Amino acid sequence: RPTIDRELLESLPNLKVIANSGVGVDHLDLKMISSFGVKVTNTPQAVADSTADMGMALMLASARRLVEGCQIAISPDTEHFAVDWLGVEVTRATLGIIGMGSIGYKVAQRAKAFEMKILYHNRNRRKMEEEQAVGAHYCEKMDDLLQQSDFVLLVVSLSPETRKLIGKRELGLMKPTATLINISRGAVIDQDALVEALQKKIIRAAALDVTYPEPLPRDHPLLKLNNIIITPHIGTATVQAIRMMAEEAITNMLAVLNGQPIPSEVV
Amino acid sequence: MWYHKPVIDEELLRSLPNLKIVSSSGVGIDHLDLKLLSRFGVKVSNTPFAVSTDTADFGMALMLASARRLVEGYQMAVSPDTEYFPGNWLGVKVSGATLGIVGMGTIGYKVAQRAKAFEMKILYHNRNQRNKEEESAVGAVYCKKIDDLLQQSDFVMLAVNLTPQTHKLIGKRELELMKPTATLVNISRGLVVDQDALMEALQNKVIRAAALDVTYPEPLPRDHPLLKMKNVIITPHIGSATEDTRRIMMQDMAESIEAALAGLPVPNEVV
Repeated sequence: RPTIDRELLESLPNLKVIANSGVGVDHLDLKMISSFGVKVTNTPQAVADSTADMGMALMLASARRLVEGCQIAISPDTEHFAVDWLGVEVTRATLGIIGMGSIGYKVAQRAKAFEMKILYHNRNRRKMEEEQAVGAHYCEKMDDLLQQSDFVLLVVSLSPETRKLIGKRELGLMKPTATLINISRGAVIDQDALVEALQKKIIRAAALDVTYPEPLPRDHPLLKLNNIIITPHIGTATVQAIRMMAEEAITNMLAVLNGQPIPSEVV
Repeated sequence: MWYHKPVIDEELLRSLPNLKIVSSSGVGIDHLDLKLLSRFGVKVSNTPFAVSTDTADFGMALMLASARRLVEGYQMAVSPDTEYFPGNWLGVKVSGATLGIVGMGTIGYKVAQRAKAFEMKILYHNRNQRNKEEESAVGAVYCKKIDDLLQQSDFVMLAVNLTPQTHKLIGKRELELMKPTATLVNISRGLVVDQDALMEALQNKVIRAAALDVTYPEPLPRDHPLLKMKNVIITPHIGSATEDTRRIMMQDMAESIEAALAGLPVPNEVV
C-alpha cells in the first residue's frame, strides 16, 4: 500500500524512486513505473537470513509435527502421551530447493548442517565452488528434483514463468512421503491442486508462509486440513530484519536521490 | 521399557528371579534405580546414540518455532476471527544470535553443529571442557561458570541428563541471570527446570519465552498455568519420535536383550 497505479504516479511528477521493503516486487507494475522514469529498489540483503530461517523452521515443524504436538500437549482431553505418535526425520533426508538465489542458498547452507542431501533447480546453474560448498546437486529438470526429494522448498520470485509452477502434475511427481514448503509467494502453487493433493495424501504435508490471498478466506479448505501448517507471511518478521529492511530501503533511496550507484535497483 | 512402565521396584524384582536385563528405550535412565537393579544382578541398557540426532533436530525445531512465534502465527493464520495479518507482529532472529548449550554431550554437540550453520555464536557449559578440535569444529566457547553463559545467551538450550546435580539446575536465580529477551529451550528432562520459578519468570517477563519438549510430570495437569501461556510452546516429549529412529531403537534394545540372555557383553550397557 498504496497501490502504485498510473493515477498515483501522474499525481507525483517529482517522484524519483519507489524503495520497496522486502525482496518481492510482484505487486509492482515495473514496466509502467519505468515509463514514468521512476526507479524501483528492494531489500534483498535484509530479508535473506530471516527468510531462510523461516524455511528451516517450517520444514522442521512440519516434519516433526510440532504444531499438532503442541495441541496435544495443551489439550484439555489429553490424559497421556501416545508412544506410537511419530513424525519423519530431517537429518539425512533429501531437500530439493526450487530457486537457488540468496535465500535458497542460505537454506542450503543450513540444511547441510543437518547432513541433508541437497538438490536444486534454478534458471541458471550455480558455480561449482558454490555447489560444492553446500553439497548441492543441480537438477536441470525440475521433475528429477520432485521425484527424489523428501522436502521440496519453493524459494523463487513470482513471475509469469513461476506462476502455478507447482500444480497437479508436479504434486503427482512428488513422493507420497514428501513435504512441500513455500516461502516464496502463494501464487507459485496451484492452491486448488494442493488441497486435492493433501486430501488424497498424494503428498504427506505442506507448510506455507505464503498463500493467495493473504489471509485466506475463513472457509478455505486449506484451513481445515490437519497435514498443513500455515503462517501469516512472517518470513521477515523479526525485530532485526525489520530494522535492516528500513536501513536498506533508505540507503537505496538516498543513493537514487544523490545520483550515486544504487545498491539494489530492480530493473 | 517404555515411558517408565512398569515401575521397577524391589517388589517387582523379587517376583522376577530370572530377570537378566532391563532394556530401556531412549538415553535417559533417571527413572531407574541402578543400585537396586545391580543388587539383584540385573543388567541395564539404553539407546543413547539412536536418539541423539532426532533430539538435536528437535531442539533446533523448538528454538526456531519459539523465536519466530510459529505456533502463535499458525493460530492467527487459521483463526476464524482473522481478517488481516498485522504489520507490526514480530519475533526474534535466530541467525547470528547467541546460543548457550547447557550439557555438551552427544546431543548438545549435534545441536552446536546445526546452530553453526545459522551463524550462531555458540557458548557451552559442561562438566568437562571438550577438546580444542571439537570446540573449533563448531566454534563453541566454553563457559566454566554457567552464569556467564546465562548472561550472554539469546537462547539457552538444556541438553543435560537428569542427575542429583542437574535437578532444578535452572531456578529463579538462573532465570534472572538470563536476558529479558532470551528464550529457554528444554530437551532434557522436566526436573532440570524449577517449573514454578519458570512460570513466575514467564509471567513477569523475566525471560521472553520458553519451549519445552519435557515437563514434570508428563503430561502436565490440565489446569497447569504453563498450558495457558502465550509465550510457551510445549510438545509431548517427541524429541526422538520419528519412524526411522524408533526402528533403530527397537533393534538396539533387541540386540542388548539377546546379548544379555546369551551371557555375552551387552551393547549399550549402563554401568
